[in-house]
Amino acid sequence: MKSAVTTVLSVADAAGRFPSMSDIEAVKGSLDRAAARMEAAEKLAAGIDKVTVDAVDAVYGKGSYEQANKDKCARDIHHYLRLINYCLVTGGTGPLDEWGIAGMREVIRVQVLPTAAYIEAFTHIRDRVCVPRDMSQQAATEFKGLLDYLINALA
Amino acid sequence: MLDAFSRAVVSADAKGAPIGTEDLAALRKYVDDANKRIDATLAITQNVSCIAADAVAGMVCENSGMTQPGGNCYPTRRMAACLRDGEIILRYVSYALLAGDASVLDDRCLNGLKETYLALGVPLANAIRAVEIMKIATVAIMTETNTGRKMFEGINSGSGSQCKEIASEAASYFDRVISALS
Repeated sequence: MKSAVTTVLSVADAAGRFPSMSDIEAVKGSLDRAAARMEAAEKLAAGIDKVTVDAVDAVYGKGSYEQANKDKCARDIHHYLRLINYCLVTGGTGPLDEWGIAGMREVIRVQVLPTAAYIEAFTHIRDRVCVPRDMSQQAATEFKGLLDYLINALA
Repeated sequence: MLDAFSRAVVSADAKGAPIGTEDLAALRKYVDDANKRIDATLAITQNVSCIAADAVAGMVCENSGMTQPGGNCYPTRRMAACLRDGEIILRYVSYALLAGDASVLDDRCLNGLKETYLALGVPLANAIRAVEIMKIATVAIMTETNTGRKMFEGINSGSGSQCKEIASEAASYFDRVISALS
């Protein structure tokens, strides 16, 4: 899976060489931001249920909808947030790409799901992130970057 | 191929749970010790030919028939193949060490290695001995218990004695090679 170290190692292995200075610099570079990413991952993991409920409420508003639909919506948002948590840990978009976005369009089309609702939910989550109440500035930047990545993939 | 981070992700995904504080502790340690890990990787990459040549030479010394006609390291073409394999194993060990996970070593080097050696008539006991010597040499360089040049004097990771933990991780990857060939 694409991650901080594996992308570098794949290239080195394809060339049949030992990890070079530039490979090691690349690994170091992604580890420099790891502290912020892990903070974001930790905070997201701790509040994932609350964030999900908050986003679902924002999407459905005060209208009356079937609870079953809301539950499914919550399940999906929770799923994507979990993948974002994984991406924050790996330092790459591998988990989202492989488990979230690959085949997503097909599934959404077949099930006639409104992508606009998901976009609304993730935009809401992105805009609600508050510094420093929720996480530090750098952590929030990493988190929002991944939310934007997902929103772009859904749009 | 996985590294310490994607390994955590794969095991968390199997549970369907996000990665929380508990699992992050090990990864934070990886990040904190990154300099040691990098220096330990460099300890391998900067001494590759030395480690591989010593190991093969040691193996031959212990079994002097190997370089005689009919031996497995005769003629030089086969001895050269042996040196090359030593370097390949060191390369994958260095990948595994940098990644903090053995999957790259398992998938790309050890999978089918024993069968290949058996088919080529490589004596496994001698190959294992060479890997053992490489392990001893690598650990000695990382912990600065080797004779001759000390690697870590003045380098950011501190002295070799502080690299014991990472050296034992490196040793575990060599042990993986040995058990794959056994």
